[in-house]
Amino acid sequence: MLLSLNSEMNGKDINLQAITEGSDVDSGVAHGQLLSRLVELTLDNTDNSDDSIATVRNQIVDAMSAEALVDASAIIGNFQRMVRIADGTGIPLDKPVAILSAGLRKKLGFNKFGSANLTPKVSAMTHWIATKLRPFIIKKMTAKPSQSS
Amino acid sequence: MTAFAYSNSPYPIRQDLPEAYRHAWNKLANAGNWWTGGARVAIAEEVRNATTCDFCSQRKAALSPFAPLEGAHTSSTGLAANVIDVVHRLTTDPARLTKTWLEEVTSNDLSTGQYVEIISIVVTTLCIDSFHQALGFDLEPLPAPVDGDPSRLTPSGLDADTAWVPMIEKLGEDEADLWSQGRTGNVIRAMSLVPDAVRLLKTLSDAQYVAMEDVPNPEASGGRAISRAQIEFIAARVSAINDCFY
Repeated sequence: MLLSLNSEMNGKDINLQAITEGSDVDSGVAHGQLLSRLVELTLDNTDNSDDSIATVRNQIVDAMSAEALVDASAIIGNFQRMVRIADGTGIPLDKPVAILSAGLRKKLGFNKFGSANLTPKVSAMTHWIATKLRPFIIKKMTAKPSQSS
Repeated sequence: MTAFAYSNSPYPIRQDLPEAYRHAWNKLANAGNWWTGGARVAIAEEVRNATTCDFCSQRKAALSPFAPLEGAHTSSTGLAANVIDVVHRLTTDPARLTKTWLEEVTSNDLSTGQYVEIISIVVTTLCIDSFHQALGFDLEPLPAPVDGDPSRLTPSGLDADTAWVPMIEKLGEDEADLWSQGRTGNVIRAMSLVPDAVRLLKTLSDAQYVAMEDVPNPEASGGRAISRAQIEFIAARVSAINDCFY
């Protein structure tokens, strides 16, 4: 959902189908296909693809930078963690996220995942209100936390 | 030898990453809330065994993860069979875990606190190992366990209704540092039955992702070499491949 909000805020058109369909699809995110390929090859431990992943690493370094490769690898690690925390503890989506992402989740087919039933369905009325309030919600999300003295 | 030295790395590794990883290894080696250092390192060892476990591969391919299956996990530790099974499932097939399964797992000699701490160890090991795999580095040797007894700490202010495991609803004095302004996302609260697991999660997340405080801001990229859009695209792709709804 944060990707969707980011693209909305920056006025960029992102093809979110690339999230589920993989590196064959151009997401519109800069170097998205290379980054997606790095994810796929890192997570696929059944594939003896050392050569392939080495090639992708080199391509990322050439197209972006070595620092970008390191940061992308750290994000892969981070989310290998987060998905297991979510699935292992049976948490529902946080309410604001559930409301804001209802349409997106349906569009991308995320509702087919087993853990989808942990999050209550968002009613049509709530979804409509959320759509109207979206700009205000985004503004609130991006506001810096107030500093306590 | 210093752990996570990255002295032969062809890529420049930000200093906060090895610092966070060394902190994690130190925590892993020492007793936690519910497991000794020896058990914690053994759990981490089983995470690595799970990634090459034929039994896990067969179960992952099965229509149901709970269907009877001949065979046994690839294992190298003296952990109890139920603990090994929990570790392997969390590592290789987390999207198909269910509340019923967890109730069964925790109805015998594994407490919910022990279970949450297992998750913490599994994800700590995996997030660091995945970083190494993405960069083509050898896995860091696991740390030597340190003697000591678990604290057996159970925090106050727990909510048992939101998730499969109890999590802190209202922060008590001893856990006031876990999150700011009295609220945080469920994925952070999920680990709060073991408060140190939340602290470790924060340390690793700050280094691998962006600072906790910046997470809700879709434009904050924490000074990384990739944009927030690229960060969230990678995050979403990892989640999708793992069939994770969250």
